[in-house]
Amino acid sequence: KKTSKPTKATVKQQQGKKGPLEMSAKKRVPFLRQVVSVKKKVHRDPRFDDLSGEYKPEIFMKTYSFLDSIKKQEKEMVQKQLKKCRNMEQKEKLQQLLNRMTQQEQAQKKQQKLRERELSLKRQQRELAKQGKKPFFLKKSEKRKLELAEKYAELKRSGKLESFLSKKRKRNAIKDKRRLPSQKNL
Amino acid sequence: SPSLGRRRREVAEDEVEETPQEKKLRLAKQYLEELRQYEEEEEARPGDLIGDRLKEDVLEQKGRLQRLVAKEVQPPDPTSIRELRGHQLPVTCLVITPDDKVIFSASKDGSLIKWEVDSGKRLCVVPGGKKGTEEQNMGHASQVLCMAISSDGKYLATGDRNKLIMIWDAATCKRLHIFTGHRDAISGLSFQKGTHQLYSASHDRCVKVWNVAENAYMETLFGHQDIITGLDSLSRECCVTSGGRDGTVRLWKIPEESQLVFCGHQGSIDCIQLINEEHMVSGADDGSVALWGLTKKKPLALAQHAHGMQEAQGLQQPYWISAVAPLRNSDLLATGSHSGSVKLWKCGEGFRKLEPLCDIPLVGFVNSLKFSAAGDFLVAGLGQEHRLGRWWRIKEAKNSICIIPLKQRATAPSPAIPDSS
Repeated sequence: KKTSKPTKATVKQQQGKKGPLEMSAKKRVPFLRQVVSVKKKVHRDPRFDDLSGEYKPEIFMKTYSFLDSIKKQEKEMVQKQLKKCRNMEQKEKLQQLLNRMTQQEQAQKKQQKLRERELSLKRQQRELAKQGKKPFFLKKSEKRKLELAEKYAELKRSGKLESFLSKKRKRNAIKDKRRLPSQKNL
Repeated sequence: SPSLGRRRREVAEDEVEETPQEKKLRLAKQYLEELRQYEEEEEARPGDLIGDRLKEDVLEQKGRLQRLVAKEVQPPDPTSIRELRGHQLPVTCLVITPDDKVIFSASKDGSLIKWEVDSGKRLCVVPGGKKGTEEQNMGHASQVLCMAISSDGKYLATGDRNKLIMIWDAATCKRLHIFTGHRDAISGLSFQKGTHQLYSASHDRCVKVWNVAENAYMETLFGHQDIITGLDSLSRECCVTSGGRDGTVRLWKIPEESQLVFCGHQGSIDCIQLINEEHMVSGADDGSVALWGLTKKKPLALAQHAHGMQEAQGLQQPYWISAVAPLRNSDLLATGSHSGSVKLWKCGEGFRKLEPLCDIPLVGFVNSLKFSAAGDFLVAGLGQEHRLGRWWRIKEAKNSICIIPLKQRATAPSPAIPDSS
C-alpha cells in the first residue's frame, strides 16, 4: 500500500533537519505503483568474473575429476543406443557423437601426458640443483628429440612401428615429389 | 506546450520573461501601488492604516495571523440548528460565498442548489440529469463530487464523475463553460484566493491548472500514485492535495513546477484543508486527524480515532473522517464523520497539539463542512451515504444541509498576533 521512497529527489534542507521531500512535478508517474521493493537479479558469467580467479589446470583437474566418470557413463550409453538404433540418419549422428567423445578423451590424455613430462623434467632439474650441480635448461629441438624417442619406444611396444614408418615414408615422398621440377618447365 | 502558452501570454502582457521571484516582486510592487492610491483617496483617516494593513497581510501570508477563537466557542444549542432540505440524494459538497450570504450545495443526483442563509430559501435549483442526457440538460449528469467559489464570489466551479468541470456564474446560476481534459472523476476544486485561477484534482492522479477568466487550460502536474481525494488552496500560487491510499499529502508549487511530499497517515487520506498559508489539516479513513506544518515531513499533531470506534461486521473499527473544516487563520477546527456528531477541536500552541472542545449532534454522514468567513456559523452537508460510495446507509438521516450558529463567550474576538510562531 505504501510507496518506497522515490529515487530522484533533491533535498533542499540542511543536513540535520529533515523536511518534506522536494520533487519535480512535471514527471509522469507510471501507472503501476511499487509496493514492495524488488531486487534486480545481477547476472554474472563465471568465465569473465574476477571472483572465479585465474585458470590453474591442476586445480581444475582435481576439482572436476568427477566429470570423467560421468563422461564414461555417457559414452557407454551412446554405444548402447548405437547398437539398438535402426534409423540411418540417427545412426550417423550417434556415430559422430561417439567419435567426438573418444577424440576428446584422447586429447585430454595427451595433454595430461605433456603435463606429466614437464613436471618430471622440472623435478629432475630441481634434484640436480639440490645436489649442487648447475641446473640446465633444454632447447626446444632437444625436447622434440626426446619426444620422438619416447614415441618410438611406445610404438615398438605396441607393435605398430612398421605401419607408422611406412606411412611416414609415403608422406615424405609426396612432399619431395612436389619439389621436383614439373613437366611445364621443360 | 501549455507552459509555453502561459509564458507567451505573460510576454504579451509585460514584454519581458520573468522568474517566479521576479513575479513575486512585481506583484508586491503592484500591491503597494494600490495601497498608496487607496490612502490618497481616503485622506481623513488617522493612524498608519497602510502600515497596519500591511502588517496583517504579512502575518496572514506567513501563517502567523491567528485569531484565538477556539477557547471562546460555546457548544451550540441543538434547537438553533437549521436543516434545509431539497436534495434527493446525499449532499456531497458545499461552499459559502465570501460575503456569507449564500450557500451553494451539490449532491449525488447531480443537482445544484443555491440557498440564502438568512431565510433558508432556495434561490436557484439546477437539477441533475440521468446518465446520457448531457446534451439536453444544463446541469450535471452524474454525481457532483466537489465545488469551489472564487474569492470575489463571481465564479462557481463544480466537478463531477463524468470528468467535466463546469463553470457557473454565481449570481445568475448560468453555465458559462465546461472544462474537459481530465481522464477520470474530478475529486477536488479550488480557486486561488484573489484570482481566477482554478486548481482541479482528479482520480486520474493529476492536478490541472485552469484560467477561468480566459477559459484556458494552463498546465498539468504529476506525482500522486493513487487517486487524489482532496484539494485546497489559499492566496499563494500553491495548492495541497491528499493522495488517498498512497499515504502522501503533497504541496504543489506551481511557478517552480515542484512538489513537497509529506507522509504520516496510516489509512487512506480522504480530506485536506489549509488552515493558513503554513499549516494544514487532514483526515483519514482510520479515524485520524493530522495537523501539518510546511517544514516537517511528518504531521505536527495527530489525533487517533478522532470520532471513536464503530461496530462493523463484528469488528471494532474507527469511524472514517469524511470532512474537515478549519476556521481560516484561527485555531478552531471541525471534523465530521458518521458517528452522529460533528466535533470541534482547538489547535494548540504552534499547531503542535489537538484538543477536543465539544460535540455537535448531527445524524448521518457529514460529507462536507464549511465555516463562514467571519466564524459565526458552520454549515454541514449531510447524507444517508458516504459521498464517495455506499458502504453504509443510515436510514434515519436526511439528505440536507445544516446551518449551525456558533456563539462566542466574549463580546467580540480581537485579532491576537502571537509573538513567536
